[in-house]
This record gives sequence, structure tokens and C-alpha cells, in this order.
Amino acid sequence: MRRFLSVCVGLCLGLLARAEDRVHWEITPRVTAPGQPFRLQIMVESDVVLGGAQFISREIKPPRGMALRLSGQIIRPDSNEATFNFSGVAPEQLGEHVIPSFNLRFARKVVVVPEIRLRVSDQVTFRREAQARAELVLPDRVLYVGELVRGAIRMRGGDDEAVVASYGLESLAEGFSMAVTAERQPLPDALGQGLQTTFDLTPIREGAGEFALNGIMLVQNGEAGAFNQGGRDRPFAFRRRLTVAHVPERGRPPEWNGAIGRFVAEGLQVSKDKPEVGEPIRLRAILTGDGNLDRILPPELPADEKWDVLPATERRRHAEDQRMFVYTLVPRLPGKLRTPAVRLATFDPATKTFSRLEFAPLEITVTGNAPAQVDLVTADPAAPVAAQPKAVTGLATPEPNRSSPFFRGSPAGSLGDAAGFWSANATALGLVLAATTVTGVLGYLAAHPEIRRRRRARALMRAALAEAEACRRRGDARGFAGAVVRGLQAGVAARLDAEDQAMTQSDVERVLPGADRARLDGLFLRAHADRFAPAASLADAGDADADLALLRRLLATR
Amino acid sequence: MKTFALLLLCWLAPLAAAETPGAAAQAYARGDYAGAVELWSAEVRAEGVTAARLAALGNAEWRLGRKGRAMICWERALLIDPRDPVALAGIRHGLDAGGVERPKPTAVEEYASFLNADLWLLLAVASFWTTVLCVAVPRLRGRPAGEANQWTRVGALTVLALCVPGLWGGRSLAARAVVRRAEVSLRLTPTQFGEPLRGVAEGDVVRTERPLNGHVRVRTADGKTGWVRAGEIEAVRGPGLPADLEQKAAP
Repeated sequence: MRRFLSVCVGLCLGLLARAEDRVHWEITPRVTAPGQPFRLQIMVESDVVLGGAQFISREIKPPRGMALRLSGQIIRPDSNEATFNFSGVAPEQLGEHVIPSFNLRFARKVVVVPEIRLRVSDQVTFRREAQARAELVLPDRVLYVGELVRGAIRMRGGDDEAVVASYGLESLAEGFSMAVTAERQPLPDALGQGLQTTFDLTPIREGAGEFALNGIMLVQNGEAGAFNQGGRDRPFAFRRRLTVAHVPERGRPPEWNGAIGRFVAEGLQVSKDKPEVGEPIRLRAILTGDGNLDRILPPELPADEKWDVLPATERRRHAEDQRMFVYTLVPRLPGKLRTPAVRLATFDPATKTFSRLEFAPLEITVTGNAPAQVDLVTADPAAPVAAQPKAVTGLATPEPNRSSPFFRGSPAGSLGDAAGFWSANATALGLVLAATTVTGVLGYLAAHPEIRRRRRARALMRAALAEAEACRRRGDARGFAGAVVRGLQAGVAARLDAEDQAMTQSDVERVLPGADRARLDGLFLRAHADRFAPAASLADAGDADADLALLRRLLATR
Repeated sequence: MKTFALLLLCWLAPLAAAETPGAAAQAYARGDYAGAVELWSAEVRAEGVTAARLAALGNAEWRLGRKGRAMICWERALLIDPRDPVALAGIRHGLDAGGVERPKPTAVEEYASFLNADLWLLLAVASFWTTVLCVAVPRLRGRPAGEANQWTRVGALTVLALCVPGLWGGRSLAARAVVRRAEVSLRLTPTQFGEPLRGVAEGDVVRTERPLNGHVRVRTADGKTGWVRAGEIEAVRGPGLPADLEQKAAP
């Protein structure tokens, strides 16, 4: 009895015991060198069917400096086992790095993965140049609010690996505005094989912020070729702490309009170099260089006694590294004038200094008269006043009811402005042209009847060719010969301007010089023999291909 | 003969009726020019614009001392009928006795004023189509063109060539405006504080060029160029009656 009770208690404990999930992970290699790629495999075995996995990449939080991306998973819908493969790159710092414990979420249950440890040691032999690697290019200095910082991710191939593609670029940049300018461009020759993605970064807030970038590049072992498709993905992750400041107020010129970078005043252009007094011209100031060209406010150009300045709408052209400021100038005085000075202050973030730029003014020759100029008239007060005969004028008596049959209409608009006037005329002209063209074509065809005759003959020859082919497939040798002869007669008759039925072997020879006379005789005999005599024997039926070739040759003859 | 007499009567009836002075003409005759303006304006609105009505309206406006409105009426009357005697007399009077200035017509404009713009266009289109049909019809019929056809072609092409300066001149005549404000300055630049070059008087006719910044570049009768505000002038080509500049635009 006691024994039975102990067995029952044992069974009950077994039923009440919680089913445990078995999670096993493996890093290859177990110990890595700094920056060395590694593979992480996580195997899960459960007591229940797991179902599909969800949000795997979101749960895992690799330590700082480590790049880790899910590269594949094996989960069967009716299985209680799952395998996940991650590819990663070890951090640069030596020591043990811990990936914190995280959850693997399946359709049926959540499995907890214990923390994973990776040891980075400098004792491991690893030649960095052999592997493909990613580098972040970003200036290592204080950045300024509104500055345009050009950055790049260089994915450089190694001695044993080549970078063939990249994807999945993600960025986290609070306090920055980022725009990718070019993706997957080939690296310059000096940097070797690889790709690069360039981006523009503009700080928008003062302070320190973290800039994170990660993505995946596809690497290929050995030589990349049509037969070597074994690509592997390799993640990269960058975290950079950036300090952002405002452009210093000390030494800032009053005309500074937000220009940060290194610029060159390319020059001025005018739409007309010999305007009249009062005639507006367009002045364009072209600024080039490396910096935040799009964020610069156009410099103000005050009017003076020589020039009046009007606001001009600037048509932005997204030219490479170029900005154009446009003004409308109106000359107020005649003579040789110089265009107003366009001045600009810039801040160089590398040297942290302000500098001034001035566009060299242009000399413009303004024609016309000065507004204040008065034409002086010399008059002799003693001279007798010349009596000017005054014209006899006066208003005519109005005749409001007078009408004219010709002069009618409205002063508001002319007939040419009326809707449909020009379109109706254009339509009518088009119809006349079309009718004339059609008449011309029909007249030409009527004058050259041979065009239609030859066209008809070609149609007959094609039909004969098709019939001959059909007869040949049926094994009807007489029908075959008849079809070929009919086709030959139709084609030859069109050439010789004669009736089809009257054409003989000799006529065919005239049109097709060099045709085999014996073959033609045989063909005609087989085709027409039953008209004149009992059917000849078909045992000596010739080469069908050669017969068809004759017909095809005639069809191809122009 | 009887039918012909009836037709002649029908044709003459409107002319006889035209001789009867209307209420507006009576008001004008007794010196009530404001009343005449109102009545003729109402007639224009109700029955449409004619050169004679506009010319008569111009006379009444001139009598009221509104030079700008009067010149607009006469210029528009001449756009419809370039030889309207009342409008021509009114403009001549304005130039000689009224102190109004008007650009001297160019040779092409003088030529164009033989007909109005619509008639020039109709003539050009008719001659063009005559030429086209003279070329196309013999081709469609498949016969060579006869001597009469050749002469018609030459004639139509000649008329077409003669229409070109008429069309050009009509365009140039339409690109004019009348100064409507009393004291208008011709400015050096098209800006609010543009330097005044000289004054132009109400009723002066100017040639218009390009608009910019709410101003229009104009050339006066003596060849001076400058800018005036767009609201200070009224284009010669426009609706029948002169614009009421005092009336504010609807919100």
C-alpha cells in the first residue's frame, strides 16, 4: 500500500511539473578578435508546437559597438523546434561582451533566451584586411546648427571578400536632419573595391546628441562572378556622440546670413548689358562652394541714386554645389554704371572664423536721358511773335443711330480672339490637305497599274506556296505540282504583263534566269499531264524543296 | 418692279428711322450732357456697342470735362470704325484745343486704319482659303489648273500679302491706353517711390509695353518712356463703356 501511494505521488508530481523549454546558443568562433565577424546560432526546443516567430530583431539588444542582425530562421509549422541564425561583427573593445537576455516570441508561446556572452581578445589571429568592413566617415569636430555636414558609409572589400550590395540602412539621429544623397556608389579607385552611401547631415539643435547608423552589406567570398552566387550578409553599426553648437556670436559680421562652409563668389551675370534708363534688368549672383548653400538667405541689396532694386523671384536650380541670388535692377541714370555690390559673410567651421565675400561688380552702359535733364530753348524776347495758324476744330454733331454694314463688332476683342476661330480654320486646312493627299495617292496608283497587278500576284504566289506545302504534307504530288505551277504562272504573268494561264516554262526562264529547265518541264508535265493524256507516273517526282525554292525565289524578286 | 420697290423701301426704312433723334440725342442737343451720357450708356448696355454710339458718348463726356472717358470712347469707336467722322473730329478737337496728346500713327497704323482689325482678319482668311482652294481643287479633280485659276491664285496671294501690314498695324493700334487719372506721373522705375520723370495729363494716349510690379511701361506721344501704375490708365481695347474708376471692386 505504501509503495502504491509513493508511485501515485510520483506520478502526480510528474504531471504537475512545469514543462521546460530548452534553449541552446553557439557563437562561432567562441573568442573573436576586435572587429571580427562572427555567427550566432540559437536553437530552441519546446514541449509544444511553437508556430511562427514574430519581431525577433526587435527584442535583441546587442551591446555598444557590436553589430548583430538576424540572417535566417528555420521554423516548421508543425514542429516544436526552431533555429535562428544571426550574423554579427565583434566590438573593438577587448573583454567579455554580454547580449542581455531577451524573448523569442512565437505564435503559441514566448521563450526566454538567457544572456549570451562573447569574448573579444587580441590573442586571436585575425587579419582585418582580409574581410569586408564598413567605415563611417564623419568630421570629428564640433558641428554647428544649420551646417551641412557631408558624411559617408564606406563598405570596403577585403582581400578575401568583396562587397556586392548593401541594404537596410537605418538611422537614429535626434536633433539632426539626415538625407541620403547617393546610395551604393562604387568607391574611388584609391580605396579599393567596395561601395559607399553618402548622406547629408544638418544639426538642428544645440547640445550633445547620439547619432546611430546601422545596415547590412552583402559580401561574397573569392572572386565575384556569374558562377559564384554564394553571398553572405554582414551587418554594420555605428554610434557616434556628436556635439552641436551655435555659430559664435563673437566676431559675427552683421551681414552674416547663415552661410556655413567654404564658398567662392563665382561672379555676376546681367540679362542685358546696355539697358535704357528705367528698363529693368536681371542680376544673378552665383555662389559656389562646399556648405549649406540652400540655407543661405539672399543678401539684401539696397536701392541707391543709381539703381532701384525690385524683389525678384528666384527660380531654384538644384545645380551641383551652386546657388544663384537673383535681383531685378532698374537703372535711374544714364552712363556707365557699376552694379550694386553684393556682399556676403560666411563662417568656416573648420577654422572657426568668419570671412567676407564680395561679388565683383559689373560695368553696365545705360542709354537714354537723365530724368532731370531739361532741353533748354534759347528765345529772343525782342523777336516778333510768330502767329501760329490755329486749326479749325470742334466736336462733330453726334449721329448715334448711324450704322455701317461693314464696321461692326466690339472693341473688347477681335475675331482672332474668338474661341474656335483658329481651330476651325486649322481643322478645315487639315481636311483639305488630307483630301489632296488621298487623291494624289489614288491618282498615282491609277497611273501605275503594275503596282496592283504585282501585289495581286504576290498574294496568289503566297496562297500557292501555302497550298503546295499542304499538298506536300498530304503526299499529293499532283496537287503539289499544280499549286507550284499556278504560283509560278501568276508571278511570271505579273512581270511580263500577260495572262497567267498562257505562261510556259520558257516564260519562267525569262523571269528567273538560270532556273533548271528540266525541273520546270517536270513540274509543268506533272501539273498539266492529265489534261492531255492519261495521268503520268509520279514515280519520278522531283525534289519538292527545290520546286518550292523556285517559287520562293520568284516571290522574293522585286 | 413692285418687288424691287418693296425691297428698296425695306432697306431705306432703317435709314429713315435713323434720322429721328432719340431721347439721348435730344438731351445732348438741349445741353443736358449728363442725361445724354446716362441714356447712351443705357442704350449701349441694352442694344450693344456701335461706333456711332461710342462716338456720341465721347462727345457728351468731353462736354462734361471728362477727357479720359471721352478719349476712351472715341478710341474705341475708331477700333470698330476707323473712319467714324464724329470720333475723328472729337480726337482732332482734343488734340488741337483740348491739350490732349496722342502718339502720331505710324505708316503701318495709318494703313491699318483703312479697315478695322476684324475686316483685315476676314480678308486675310478669305484670301488664304481662296489660294488653298485654287491649289487643291484642280488636284482633287485631277485636272490641270486653268488660266482663270492661275489669275485667282495670284490675286488672292496679293490680297493676303496686302493684309499682313494691316494685321500688324491693327495689333499695334490696340496696344495703346488712355490716361484716366488727372495727375499722373511718369515714373523712372516701377516702384511705389519711383522717381517721377514728368507728368502725363488725363486723356493722353500712350503706347503700352510690358507690365511689371503693378506698373506698365508706357511711351508717350513725344517718345518718353517710363512707368505708370496699372490703375492709372485704361487700355483702348476693352469693353464698350469706359471703366468706372471710382467704383470699388467687389470684395
